[in-house]
Amino acid sequence: MKKMELSRIIYCVALTYLCFSAANAEIINKNVERVLDLSSQLVKTTYKITAEETTGKPIKEYVFIVTEPNLSYISAKDGLNKKVEVQKIQEGGASNVFSYKLTFSSPSSKQSIVIETVSTKNILPHPSEIKQNDKQLVKFVGKLYLYSKYSTSTQKTNVILSSSNILSHTQVKPFSVSSNKVFFGPYENIGAQSEDELVLHYENQTPFLTVNTLERTIEVSHWGNIAVKEDIQLTHSGAKLKGSFSRYDFQKDGRSGQSAVKSYKTYLPASANGVYYRDTNGNISTSNMNLMRDFVDLDLRPRFPLFGGWKTQYTLGYNVPSYEYLYSSGNKYMLKMHLIDHIHDNMLIDEAVVNIILPEGSTNIELITPYSVKRHQNDLMYTYLDTVGRPVISFSKQNLVENHISDFTLKYSFSKVSLLQEPLLVIGFIYIIFLFTIVFLRLDLSITSHSHKD
Amino acid sequence: MNRSSKIFNSKVAGYSSLITFAVLLIAWIAGFSSRLFAVIRFESIIHEFDPWFNYRATAYMVEHGWYKFLNWFDERAWYPLGRIVGGTVYPGLMITSGSIHYLLHILNIPVHIRDICVFLAPVFSGLTSISTYLLTKELWSPGAGLFAASFIAIVPGYISRSVAGSYDNEGIAIFALQFTYFLWVRSVKTGSVFWSAGAALSYFYMVSAWGGYVFIINLIPLHVFVLLIMGRYSPRLLTSYSTFFILGLLFSMQIPFVGFQPIRTSEHMAAMGVFVLLMAVAVLRHLQSVLSRNEFRKLFIVGGLLAAILVFVAVVVLTVLGVVAPWSGRFYSLWDTGYAKIHIPIIASVSEHQPTTWFSFFFDLHILVCAFPVGLWYCIKQVNDERVFVVLYAISAVYFAGVMVRLMLTLTPVVCMLAGVAFSGLLDVFLQEDASKRVASTTSSLPETEDQEESLEKKSFYDKAGKLKHRTKHDTTHESGISSNLKSIVILAVLMILMMFAVHCTWVTSNAYSSPSIVLAFHNSQDGSRNILDDFREAYYWLSQNTADDARIMSWWDYGYQIAGMANRTTLVDNNTWNNSHIALVGKAMSSTEEKSYEIMTSLDVDYVLVIFGGVIGYSGDDINKFLWMVRIAEGEHPKDIKESDFFTDRGEFRVDAEGAPALLNCLMYKLSYYRFGDLKLDYRGPSGYDRTRNAVIGNKDFDLTYLEEAYTTEHWLVRIYRVKKPFEFNRPSLKAKDRLIPPTNFVSRKNLKRRKGFIRNRPTVIKGKRTLK
Amino acid sequence: MEAMQRYVSPVNPAVFPHLASVLLIIGTFFTAWFFVFVVSRKNTKESTLIKELLISLCAAIFLGFGIVFLLLTVGIYV
Repeated sequence: MKKMELSRIIYCVALTYLCFSAANAEIINKNVERVLDLSSQLVKTTYKITAEETTGKPIKEYVFIVTEPNLSYISAKDGLNKKVEVQKIQEGGASNVFSYKLTFSSPSSKQSIVIETVSTKNILPHPSEIKQNDKQLVKFVGKLYLYSKYSTSTQKTNVILSSSNILSHTQVKPFSVSSNKVFFGPYENIGAQSEDELVLHYENQTPFLTVNTLERTIEVSHWGNIAVKEDIQLTHSGAKLKGSFSRYDFQKDGRSGQSAVKSYKTYLPASANGVYYRDTNGNISTSNMNLMRDFVDLDLRPRFPLFGGWKTQYTLGYNVPSYEYLYSSGNKYMLKMHLIDHIHDNMLIDEAVVNIILPEGSTNIELITPYSVKRHQNDLMYTYLDTVGRPVISFSKQNLVENHISDFTLKYSFSKVSLLQEPLLVIGFIYIIFLFTIVFLRLDLSITSHSHKD
Repeated sequence: MNRSSKIFNSKVAGYSSLITFAVLLIAWIAGFSSRLFAVIRFESIIHEFDPWFNYRATAYMVEHGWYKFLNWFDERAWYPLGRIVGGTVYPGLMITSGSIHYLLHILNIPVHIRDICVFLAPVFSGLTSISTYLLTKELWSPGAGLFAASFIAIVPGYISRSVAGSYDNEGIAIFALQFTYFLWVRSVKTGSVFWSAGAALSYFYMVSAWGGYVFIINLIPLHVFVLLIMGRYSPRLLTSYSTFFILGLLFSMQIPFVGFQPIRTSEHMAAMGVFVLLMAVAVLRHLQSVLSRNEFRKLFIVGGLLAAILVFVAVVVLTVLGVVAPWSGRFYSLWDTGYAKIHIPIIASVSEHQPTTWFSFFFDLHILVCAFPVGLWYCIKQVNDERVFVVLYAISAVYFAGVMVRLMLTLTPVVCMLAGVAFSGLLDVFLQEDASKRVASTTSSLPETEDQEESLEKKSFYDKAGKLKHRTKHDTTHESGISSNLKSIVILAVLMILMMFAVHCTWVTSNAYSSPSIVLAFHNSQDGSRNILDDFREAYYWLSQNTADDARIMSWWDYGYQIAGMANRTTLVDNNTWNNSHIALVGKAMSSTEEKSYEIMTSLDVDYVLVIFGGVIGYSGDDINKFLWMVRIAEGEHPKDIKESDFFTDRGEFRVDAEGAPALLNCLMYKLSYYRFGDLKLDYRGPSGYDRTRNAVIGNKDFDLTYLEEAYTTEHWLVRIYRVKKPFEFNRPSLKAKDRLIPPTNFVSRKNLKRRKGFIRNRPTVIKGKRTLK
Repeated sequence: MEAMQRYVSPVNPAVFPHLASVLLIIGTFFTAWFFVFVVSRKNTKESTLIKELLISLCAAIFLGFGIVFLLLTVGIYV
């Protein structure tokens, strides 16, 4: 009896060991090529990983570890350029390290994977305060080697910077520098989970703009229009302006205030019309609109140039015809629109709230989003000629970048007859006024006595 | 009248009221649209200065509710004093737009309160023309009323105060004024308590809306008084005035800002005196009917004298005791135009408080100013109770308009009414031909006045359509004397004049009164394009976004309301110029040297200083041009520190170039305006530091600021904002780390090898547990 | 998705302004007619209630649609 138990335990242990070794030891990263794009305020990384199962078993799953904080976006493709499902593994630890499980649709013993990640707020101004005429210098601290669960045979890292003015960088040989590019590697046989710091200190004058909050409101009207309104709060999140601002230097000296944001471009859908750009004090008169072939290019100039640490707030709105985004069949409707839209190049949105206002009387509302979002309570809004209120679908998402620009789908039912409700309401209102006139004039005759005199 | 003519009459009545309705509607629409120039050219935005406060107060009321508004203590104004807003405003304007906002939101019409504020004055201009129509109809005829309504809809004198975006008390007050007068005239005519109570209610609205209510409460008693003198006393007058006065008095005291003023200030005493007089006359009339002639005469003389002495003594005693306040300075300045200049520079510094020029009478009223005496003459010639009123209205308004540009506004309605009377009278004479026959048959049996009105009403169809035909039948004698040729010439001439009037009104409105003054526009002479200077909003928005929420901003009082409204920051002084010494302190800070003003600024906790500087673009309303007023006001309170004469050159000139007075070239305002301007070359050939506003090269070019630093300057340098440094930030010459070592010198220390230890002479020797020994 | 078609407004947005002005003019005409009719009726005793109701109904319908299209024209998409 006891023997039996013991053997069972041994068996279990052996089995566990086997399982582990199957998962761990036998996958190696044959070759890793990493491209770090640090030329803007975002860290855009592309990993090309060739993974191999040493025992020749097909690889079904691959665990990819991200060590950068504030990871905003991740996507993976396999060797055939097919999308690979990426799933976050819940971890109890409080560290910034997150693991993602990649599941391949076609398992084979040799997988080549292309992973793209975008992370935010990892390039920090250093020094954090500069004078108006100074250049903006930034510092990036990352990992020199791929931080992986598996050991890596060879790896290379290419870093793209915004300028050739590099003050310092990690000096682990072999490395080379050419203009605004730094090449590290190849490094051979790096063990699993080995860490080494990669530090770069360089000049980066690209706009460091953070959208603190974006509130996007989409109002659907079945009279053929979709109105989009975006309330945006912006901060220049680069090196803060130290000391005084000088308009004279700013106007006369081209080198002054290079890191300040004078204007930026926003792209709107090609069919956008009736564009407005304003804030609480009214219209902001400094903007240009160029109609392009497949988008509208809006050159927005804030009321004042944004220096480090300066903020501004504005509202941008436009109309698009409904046939661009709204589909119907019978009483069923489907709205397919960008969840967020372009605000400026290499944008970074801390928090986006999207409100979708549907026509009064819409029911059976069903929302499908391209990525997980935080749904808020459905609300009702009352505006012109409303009686029961329009349903408002609202959701929010944090830490968004350009890669998040993709469509959501909203399905709902709406009966066409309800379209007549608004005119009928107005007609009823006017008719009641007329009825009052009729009744009042009759009453007037009966109560006033002297109007009969002449 | 027989049945068929009744039907005919009612048909005509239908059409004539349709015409009246249509004309009034068109007047409303025309008045509304001609006030929209600023909205179309720029945008829906609040204009100028005072409207910004009204807008801010309205927005506060809409957000926080009426009671919170009444108790609102605004800590963002008059730092560190604050301002009790609820008790220091006429709330009528805010209530009006607040209730419109409330109503619309009940109906689910989500109009922003700003848009209501912007369009309130144009909407009320329509109501003004309707009440002008009613008043003129009471005074003369419906035809004249329609003329008057059309005139007031587009006359520049009124538009100047009621364009879209000019959200000020006057916008609704003129309506209240005209409507009160209409109800008053009605009540005098009918002697009905209903109408005079209505007049009191309308007066209540006026009191809640504008300080100009004093005009009503003096003009109506004057009317009563003159009627009494003319021997036109009637029980109707007694009823209407006593009802109006008592109700009006009680109502007006309900406005917190007015409070007990109606029984305590001299401005309101006339109304009370006339009330007493009217009562006395009524009593005498009654006694007259009871007593014999002789007794009555004695009683009259003795009683009259006694009463007069009593009233006079009472008023004097009360004034001396301080129960009744003497005339306030603003009212003195109405009688003595030089008063303000000497005693209250702050009133005199406002351009709209200057005496009116002849030019501006024509500019604001055009042909009406010529037609108006004609109407006045008509009214005097055919005088009755209510025409006495309009005559008095006209005379007093002309006087006040002559004293102050601003009071042109009260003249405008009466000019429109009387010009309406004049044109209507003129056309009566020249257009009666075809009308007279029909009129004679239908209206012969009616008494004179009603007859006139009736027929006009019936006939207004014929006159009003083309806005020209107006005739009454009372002077049929003229008919034979005028040839049809002459008639058509005169009519054509009148039409031409009216058309020119309309053109002039539109032109003036478009060119003179439709600039929001927050956004400036100028036409580029080269390519004809329109450029917009948005510097004010740029600066205010910068303040609102990039300064601490409780930052205190010092600027001249003109910009106080705008800073509070657009930047939402605390200001030291604003356009509610209630505290002269505080303003003088700011004026002193602006006109002292940087060091001295730093003391003032730290004592007032100033964080930022904002100045308006037009030297780059040639904007003439900037702070340097207003600077002498700052000096004057500062001198009034601090004569020891600031002297106006210091700011003039020896030859008595005020100039900013090298020959300017040193006090000017070194004062804070000068430095803040011209900081780094000396380096700026506006064009290639010109010298640097050339001030386009004053056409001079500035005198003090090369200076630095010690206690302040430039925080922001707008694109065209129009608004410059400086940050006041904290005491630890300035004047420590910054040394780089490597310079901080003291350079080696030839100094040889006494501490040589032998005497290495330094000592202090007479150093007390300290032994633990014992007192120090000397 | 495949079964669905692009949704277009029941009324072409390009005709909103024309529709609004025409409907409003007709509506104003009916209103004026109603107005004159009602005011003229003052002294007569005969019953014109049906006629009044009909005219005002016409006016209300035209004005109502006119106002809705006016709102649509100016960009208030109800």
